[in-house]
Amino acid sequence: MELPLYQIDAFTNKLFAGNAAGVVPLKAPLPDATMQSIALENNLPETAFFYPEGEGYRLRWFSPSVEINLCGHATVATAFVITEYLERGKRAMSFETRSGRLGVEVKGDVFVLDFPTRQIKAANAPQVGKVMGKQPAELIESYSWLAVYDSWEDVASLKPDFAAMSKLALFGVIATAPGRDGIDYVCRFFAPKAGINEDPATGSAQCVLMPYWAQRVGRKRLISRQISSRIGDFDCELAGDRVKIGGRAVCYMKGSIAVAD
Amino acid sequence: MELPLYRIDAFTDRMFGGNPAGVVPLSRWLPDATMQAIGAENNQAETAFFVPDGEGFKLRWFTPTVEADLCGHATLGSAYVISEFMQPGRTNMWFDTRSGRLTVTREGDLFTLDLPLRPASPVEEPAVGAALGAHPRELLASVSYLAVFDTWDDVARLKPDLAAVAALKLDGVFVTAPGRDGIDYVARYFAPGAGIPEDPATGSSHCILMPYWAKRLGRKRLRARQISQRVGDFDCELTADRVKIGGRAICNMRGSIFVDG
Repeated sequence: MELPLYQIDAFTNKLFAGNAAGVVPLKAPLPDATMQSIALENNLPETAFFYPEGEGYRLRWFSPSVEINLCGHATVATAFVITEYLERGKRAMSFETRSGRLGVEVKGDVFVLDFPTRQIKAANAPQVGKVMGKQPAELIESYSWLAVYDSWEDVASLKPDFAAMSKLALFGVIATAPGRDGIDYVCRFFAPKAGINEDPATGSAQCVLMPYWAQRVGRKRLISRQISSRIGDFDCELAGDRVKIGGRAVCYMKGSIAVAD
Repeated sequence: MELPLYRIDAFTDRMFGGNPAGVVPLSRWLPDATMQAIGAENNQAETAFFVPDGEGFKLRWFTPTVEADLCGHATLGSAYVISEFMQPGRTNMWFDTRSGRLTVTREGDLFTLDLPLRPASPVEEPAVGAALGAHPRELLASVSYLAVFDTWDDVARLKPDLAAVAALKLDGVFVTAPGRDGIDYVARYFAPGAGIPEDPATGSSHCILMPYWAKRLGRKRLRARQISQRVGDFDCELTADRVKIGGRAICNMRGSIFVDG
């Protein structure tokens, strides 16, 4: 059996930037083991599989080793494949996922995800600054640590101790600082515990960052840049207890994969 | 610019087995930075790029981070693409590479690489057994360590301390033991220092393994299996100063990539 496979760079409008996702459109579900094998073969951070269900689609995400609960960049990539190749001109779609129903709106070349905000609260845990190699000006606790630094350069020059970081409580560490030149804040995301020393472009990190920055800056619409080696760009809007996370995408590869029937 | 991209599983005849390689046939070289970016985007152990040169080819390999000096499975993958898709029926191919001229012949579905020997000599280094979590009955070394165990199961159940393996003097450890049921020897390969915790199927391993096993078993033609999660299969033959390494391959993916230029 031949299946289409796309490789999309999401949260960027530049090739080889953002975060790469495999996207496999299906007519009907595949066995879980087959999807896992395809994801391992692709060896991308995530491969998305989707098929029609009701008025929308069922969407699942696989890393090379496990099925995962929520993935922003592979959802943007899936929406891009739908509007660019499968149902041209479609402006809104909804996906049934392990994390409930996710809506995506298309505004020009921007794909807007609608995600829940994460609770944040001030924390005091000097061990976080220690593994980062520099103490942050402020430390916030959420599903991951949020370490707030004074400058873009502080964040850009961080060289965390990943072995020590994977022993911390919480999922990972988001580092952030004020931006400049039209960028409101910059960030990086480290999750060695999940096998990702540094993620190139992380939609879900904005669910922690936006409640913090919207309050600090006093605006609900903010432009964010993830200053990883690949660079991710986000247009974010805080709307009550939801965050709208907008990103662009480009197609790197279009092909077909062979799998056993 | 649109370029073809193939993903070939080498040293296997089973879907999702062996070692995947990206293969990009070119009519002329791309800038090195573009090939490196494609190697990173594909995120396979190696992506091969080749251009025609007379009746033969010039071949280069890129890992996600650097250009590689020698890569068996991506050479087999390149030969497969040429004889299967570009010049159907061709059975003899040669490639000029960083490691000199490599020849591949095809008989039926078997592709045979011809590589130089790298015989290993006994060494004493208890740190290797400590890093592997089990002490081998024999330890040898050439460019890498060769740790010989008593049984297939000894090799199958090794769970090396990868940080300790990466800290050893030489790059990488081959572990091996006698086979059974038509397989003469089994092997695994750990090279965390080169960014490969465990390689799924390693053609060049037989440059070290064959001199050892041919002498121990008193035969020059041996069948080897790499008992990684994906499993690799090899038909090897020792000649005077070379080793012929035979393997099969299947095409997992065929597509087009879209790059600037």
